[in-house]
Amino acid sequence: MEIRITRLSKDFASEGKRIHALAKVDLTIPANQIFTLLGPSGCGKTTLLRCIVGLEAPDEGEITIGGEVVWSGARGVFVPPEKRGLGMVFQTYAIWPHMTVFENVAYPLQARKRPREEIRRMVMRTLERVQLVGFENRPATKLSGGQQQRVALARALAAEPKVILFDEPLSNLDAKLREETRKELRRFLTELKITAVYVTHDRVEALSLSDAIAVMKDGRIVEIGDPHKIYFDSDHRFVADFIGRANLIDGRVAAQEGAHTRVDSVIGPIACQLRPQLVAGSPVAVCIRPEFIRVAARAQDTEGGANRFRGRLESLVFVGEAYEGEIRVGDQRLIARIHPAAALVEGVEVEFAVEPEHCLALSH
Amino acid sequence: MSRAFTLSRIRPRPGPQGGLTWALIILVGFLTVCPVVMLVLGSFSTGLEAFGSLTLAKYIEAYTDPALAAIILNTVVFTVGSAAVATVLALFLAFLNTRTNIPFKSLFGIISIIPMMIPHILFCVSWALLLNPSNGLFNLLLRELGLSGAAVNIYSMPGMILVEGLLDLPIAYLILAPAMSAFDVSLEESSKVCGASNLRTLARVTLPVLRPAILAAFILVIVRSLASFAVPAVLGMPGRIYVLASHIYRIIATGFAADYGQAAAVGMSALSASIVLIVIYRRLTAAGEKFVTVTSRGYRPAVIDLKGARLPLCGCVGLISFVLIVLPVAVLFYVSLLPYSMVPSAKALGFMSWKNWLSVIRDPVSFLALKNSVVLGIGGASLGVVLSIFVAYIIVKVRTRAAGVLESLSFLSFSFPGIVIGVGFMWFFVLTPLYATIWALLIGYIATYLPYGIRPLTSAFVQIHSHLEESSRVCGAGTLLTLRRVVIPLLVPGIVSGWILMATMFVRELTLSVVLSRPGTEVIAVQILRYAEDGLWGRLSALGIIMIIISTALVAVASFIGRKFALTERG
Repeated sequence: MEIRITRLSKDFASEGKRIHALAKVDLTIPANQIFTLLGPSGCGKTTLLRCIVGLEAPDEGEITIGGEVVWSGARGVFVPPEKRGLGMVFQTYAIWPHMTVFENVAYPLQARKRPREEIRRMVMRTLERVQLVGFENRPATKLSGGQQQRVALARALAAEPKVILFDEPLSNLDAKLREETRKELRRFLTELKITAVYVTHDRVEALSLSDAIAVMKDGRIVEIGDPHKIYFDSDHRFVADFIGRANLIDGRVAAQEGAHTRVDSVIGPIACQLRPQLVAGSPVAVCIRPEFIRVAARAQDTEGGANRFRGRLESLVFVGEAYEGEIRVGDQRLIARIHPAAALVEGVEVEFAVEPEHCLALSH
Repeated sequence: MSRAFTLSRIRPRPGPQGGLTWALIILVGFLTVCPVVMLVLGSFSTGLEAFGSLTLAKYIEAYTDPALAAIILNTVVFTVGSAAVATVLALFLAFLNTRTNIPFKSLFGIISIIPMMIPHILFCVSWALLLNPSNGLFNLLLRELGLSGAAVNIYSMPGMILVEGLLDLPIAYLILAPAMSAFDVSLEESSKVCGASNLRTLARVTLPVLRPAILAAFILVIVRSLASFAVPAVLGMPGRIYVLASHIYRIIATGFAADYGQAAAVGMSALSASIVLIVIYRRLTAAGEKFVTVTSRGYRPAVIDLKGARLPLCGCVGLISFVLIVLPVAVLFYVSLLPYSMVPSAKALGFMSWKNWLSVIRDPVSFLALKNSVVLGIGGASLGVVLSIFVAYIIVKVRTRAAGVLESLSFLSFSFPGIVIGVGFMWFFVLTPLYATIWALLIGYIATYLPYGIRPLTSAFVQIHSHLEESSRVCGAGTLLTLRRVVIPLLVPGIVSGWILMATMFVRELTLSVVLSRPGTEVIAVQILRYAEDGLWGRLSALGIIMIIISTALVAVASFIGRKFALTERG
């Protein structure tokens, strides 16, 4: 089911100040995709999710789920959460401690007054799907964190909703389990053909799980795109900085030159990926990811081409799969990932190159 | 999915909730502040009949009494002494339970809940039965063995301190045990790495870090022993050792004319002392939260191997629990079957009969007392729990500034000595038609014991995270179904324990009742005190055992209903 959000606003009063949790958000979440709302804490992503599910009422705007208006400020429509027919996994899992696993998962079916036999069948099928068969009579509190998380997922899926919402569901798991669960979840949601809205502040989670990501800041959506677009070809400085490690180099647009946009930066002219909308003279930041800085083992090794720079290797730290080097060019420091085989030592002069398509000129 | 609702359904509704908060503030405020205000007014009045005409005469009379200096000294020795006994014992037990490999750890749980099982007055009486100088069983035994005179006299200051200390041991334990188990072991480990021995680590690291908790326990026991009436009445008065509580009782209950003005004037010092101590206690516990390091990493404190000391120390704990639980009940039961005190022997066996039990049940006053106490226990606890549910809901879920006021108000009465509050209520009730009715006792009980109902309910509400309700809504359950299937079942354990706490407190209530109870509104504990004053030990013991049976029955019935309810609501 498609979710359509138009000009949605919500203010909170906090310590006498009004905070725009959501500021005229427009968003369309396509059907049967995993759609992630990503942003730092306080950006409004959880508020948006809670408005979709009906636990929070916006101040203005409209929300449509699968063609039905579930909230409209202008028309005075509010469909309460229990009538929206959605599934949700809470950050705290919200497993009811006084019920068994079976009772927890059966609950949404009982609330929909399904016949006893059907409930039994559907619960068992869902438990099988999340690999919790054999646990159905266990008190829900007597489970590990990962198992509780799967109970929460089973409960959200039991009534076969068309839309499922996740509010940072993996944040309470330890790192290894989080990674496994993420993969499992991805496989699972793709199989089910279900619209999933996923809230997180973890960029790796967002990149690896989503079909599309909306990056939010201060109650607004800054950029929407698939994980590749967001990571490699972002249009916004905030997004580029937030989604991964980035070197941001200040400069001004010099000219549009054929296939590239040329920027005069503090480390010299940089040929960047073409951004025709940028006007010459406007201030920009050039974003270069550490993994795209190719450092030559010896000063002469870089082949000819654009974007060659010289700098001093200030530090070199071994981080396992690579070295992380800090190169100083003038007053600008750049982080670079350096192949572990490179025979370099701290303090030497190095030459490095960056492909123009990996240099993003971003307006402020 | 087709039904649409109007906007007002989910907008925050400050109106009704704010209204409820203020209604509760007025109600709880009345219950806790009214007796204090009346006490102050009363202390400046000439007498119950002449309320309102201001005078300082009562203060002059009360504080120029030459006996008062000795009474205050006694009070200080009594309270500090029993606080020391209770704290040291509690520290010992808490350490053994949380930090060592002592066997039978379930005993410690029992020690911490016995005050609910055995009423203080009965505990005192059983010690009097054992160790009173004229016919205490233990002294009789020693006399038979050839010792002359009274070897051990419980009607003395050390006797009072010992018994009060044992009675307050559970409170000190309940404060110290959690602090001890939340202790960050790495603090101790680093001391040991630095080369300090176990003993040195205990003295230099463990105890100083726990100091706020220890001081808090110590001060709370002082407050409790200052308010204690059972020990001063049963063990102090026969030996003419008076403390403030029994002094107030003497002013209103003995002699030719009860002087409620003078009692109020004396009560003012006990009340102010209590309030000061509770303020200090609150400071300490607030600071203690910063001080005591609670680790969230699920650390189990390292267990110290007691080696050879395991069994002897276990014996110590066994002895304490025997003295606290088995002995009092056994002594009472034994004495209830005998016409007069005698050492267990074949002769005593021959004298045994149910005569005392029958005469208690046939005695119209005792029967009335039983009836009143049961009515007050069931009715009072039910009303009290309903009030507590609302108060706890506002404190935990609403959290406005007004809710904070309500919280402070509702825990205020915890610091008030019962007998002083009784005198304050007396000044109030004589102005109303409630005077000398069972309603006066009911209102007084709920006012004094409200924190006992609120405490378990606030923890129940805290447990119900808002996500638990929200996920039920998302699952398709409406407000009513959410209440029935999620909120109420999670609340039931809190309701049951709140009810049990209040009901058992009410059935055994003594300190407030000695002031407010009039002919026709006798209650069990007051009747037991009358029997003690008249030396009718046999009847007293029979009535005491009946009281324990009633309390236990109430606990059993409430737990049963709670469990039953929980089962049916799971659906």
